Amino acid sequence: MTTTSLAVDVVGLRKSFGRQRALDGLDLRVETGQIAGFLGPNGSGKSTTIRILLGLLRAEATTVRVLGGDPWNDAVALHRRIAYVPGDVNLWPNLTGGQAIDILSRLRGGVNTTRRDELLQRFDLDPSKKARAYSKGNRQKVALVAALASDAELLILDEPTSGLDPIMEAAFSACIREARTEGRSVLLSSHIFAEVENLCDTVTIIRLGKTVESGTLAELRHLRRTTISVILDDTTADLSPVPGVNDLAMDGQRATFTVADPDLGLVLAELAHFKPRALVSTPPSLEELFLRHYGTELAANGVSVP
Amino acid sequence: MVRFILRRNWLRLLIWAVVLVGMIPLVYESQRAAFPTEADREAYASIANTPSVAALTGTPYAADTLGGILVLKIWMTLAVTLAFATSFLVTRNGRADEEDGRTELLRSNVLGRHAYTVANYLVVGGFDILVGAAITAVAAAMPLPFDGSLVLGASLAGLGLFFLGVSAACGQLTSTSRGANGLAAVVIGTAFVVRAIGDLDGTGTTPGWISGLSPIGWAQQMRAFGENRWWPLAPLVGGAITLCAIAVRIEARRDLGAGVLPDRPGPSAAGRFMMTPFGLALRLQRASIAGWFAAVVVMALLYGSVASAMANLLGSNPVFAAVFGPNGSSATKGVIALLVMLNAIVASAFVVESALQVRVEEASGRAEPQLAGSISRIQWAGGRLLLPIIGSALMLVVGGVVMGSAYGASQNDAAQVWALLCASVIYWPGVLVTAGVTVFMIGVVPRLAPSLSWAFFAAVVIISVFGELFSLPTLITGNTPLTATPRLPVGQFTMPPILVLTAVAAVLWAIGLVRFARRDLAQDA
Repeated sequence: MTTTSLAVDVVGLRKSFGRQRALDGLDLRVETGQIAGFLGPNGSGKSTTIRILLGLLRAEATTVRVLGGDPWNDAVALHRRIAYVPGDVNLWPNLTGGQAIDILSRLRGGVNTTRRDELLQRFDLDPSKKARAYSKGNRQKVALVAALASDAELLILDEPTSGLDPIMEAAFSACIREARTEGRSVLLSSHIFAEVENLCDTVTIIRLGKTVESGTLAELRHLRRTTISVILDDTTADLSPVPGVNDLAMDGQRATFTVADPDLGLVLAELAHFKPRALVSTPPSLEELFLRHYGTELAANGVSVP
Repeated sequence: MVRFILRRNWLRLLIWAVVLVGMIPLVYESQRAAFPTEADREAYASIANTPSVAALTGTPYAADTLGGILVLKIWMTLAVTLAFATSFLVTRNGRADEEDGRTELLRSNVLGRHAYTVANYLVVGGFDILVGAAITAVAAAMPLPFDGSLVLGASLAGLGLFFLGVSAACGQLTSTSRGANGLAAVVIGTAFVVRAIGDLDGTGTTPGWISGLSPIGWAQQMRAFGENRWWPLAPLVGGAITLCAIAVRIEARRDLGAGVLPDRPGPSAAGRFMMTPFGLALRLQRASIAGWFAAVVVMALLYGSVASAMANLLGSNPVFAAVFGPNGSSATKGVIALLVMLNAIVASAFVVESALQVRVEEASGRAEPQLAGSISRIQWAGGRLLLPIIGSALMLVVGGVVMGSAYGASQNDAAQVWALLCASVIYWPGVLVTAGVTVFMIGVVPRLAPSLSWAFFAAVVIISVFGELFSLPTLITGNTPLTATPRLPVGQFTMPPILVLTAVAAVLWAIGLVRFARRDLAQDA
């Protein structure tokens, strides 16, 4: 195992609170200089994992390496190199946002005022308002500015965009990409598929405290089918006998179906005989990947799965 | 709407009412025990009219009757408590609901713009009147003269109603519940101080004209068990109605959620000092610390100036002698020693509250991003806990010096300043033991820390003050943090107890801090 090239390396992580098992064999890796997505539904153990990475909770009998160190014993030294945005940002109600940013930045090392002011502008945040008067999104921005203004090597972000509007989400994405360009590593937990799909190089999906799937986005896509939609001149054409075509739906001239990625070439060759006028292929979304893992659970709870 | 508010608040209303009304029989019984005969009361009446009594509770009148003494002892406490209770209740159902968006939810239904507000005023107004009626009934049952009891109840209810109007207006002017409560508290405080100045300025039992500017002064002028006047009730109730009407008018003109007074912007960057854990703790707790110090100074001034009068009065009473003067030492020294210890109790309350702020930060989730910074747990918690350590030392010094100056001035004895300073400061290790229990709890049982720490504090207070009255074994009464400390100037100063207390405090602090550093962070979900 080459721990040096990994910003975060966790194997078989376990953690219990009393009799309740929160994490049960969780694996998580973040390559240096990459953005890693960390996906899972609420209560699946994302925040618990992140707190262990920060040395706020103690791991049970596992080796957890963060930037080559032990997050529990080397917390003080490691935290100089890590910036953190909590999922639920609580601030001191009678201090201003600017004061909170300075206090949090100072605790990690120092305040870079130029960077701070630039970020305040990008996120359109008024630092002279009392935190009491901030909305959830604005409190989130305070934590983001404090974290991004640092020159930390590793950014750990726990659902950082909850409460942000789409314009601010775009600003956030731009900042994260810049961080990657600067060679920093990012761990981004989320339950928003589009966000992870949009930003991340690798993804780890967890469920009930266990890693169920992990890899690069490209690798994970191989597990899924591509959705293809074609328009055919011949409305009587029947695609159902073509090997590899699944979930076929016909709507006038339009035919929509899914293909497992290894069958794609074969299906396209067959399709040529039907003289399609237009073809749209949609890559599988993480949403679909996600639903496959939780599909059984959701179905059992009476939620329909598309 | 009235029923809805009652259902949300019935327990709160009941507790306030029981506390307020319950004080009457308690104080009545204690005063009857203290002044059993006509002669005792006349003796009291002759010494009651001191400046500090006038400033704190108003000019005494009819102090030779039990009713008059009852008013003197408890009326001002009841009046101020009821004023605060009324304000908090009005704000809770008014501005606080609006701030949290609950009013928005209600008003989007079929409900008049003022229905919820007016229902709130009616419920709290009804509460004031009922408390007044209950006080009348309880006082008359003591038994005290009925007409005096009626005026007593009416004066308190009238004052409550007036501050209902004040807090209604405050709730419309400010845009936060904190602001509304703060503004109402300023009004109550101003009314109290204006009246205190007027009463100090008085001749005989008549306060000066300045008291006539304060609503508390008006209510006092009803003089229950004295002249039993009714006319001051008119401006109180009239003021209440006018202020409520103004509040409703403002509500009709403003947007939901807005106030008339703007929310001020603050500094957009933090100062260097504030970025340290100690500086941040000081900044966050500065209002509360100012309050604690104000309480210590006021108490010390009052205690110091009345100590010798109290000692003369109580020396003959066997019940009080048991508390104040153990082993037949002089009553004055006994009283002074007890008062110095009361100051140490205030300092103990402060350290518990201040030390618990570490847990408050942790429970609220604010500690997490701080500890994700490059700072060890011990450094972080230790920096914050420096505040109760230093604060309590200053409090004991200030309390001792002020009490010593006030007492020394009344005795023409400047040496008392140094004597009482020493008597006060030797409580520091004991106070730090109480703080140590809180730190220990935070480290070992974080979620139970607030309740267990306050329970320990309450036990210390009860045993220290009343232990001998309950005839508890000396093993218990002699070994609380405060009673283990030599009680100067009655007792003899010895070093061993101080060393033992210091050692116990050090162990509790060490275990608490180390456990805090080695355990999981426990946030309240």
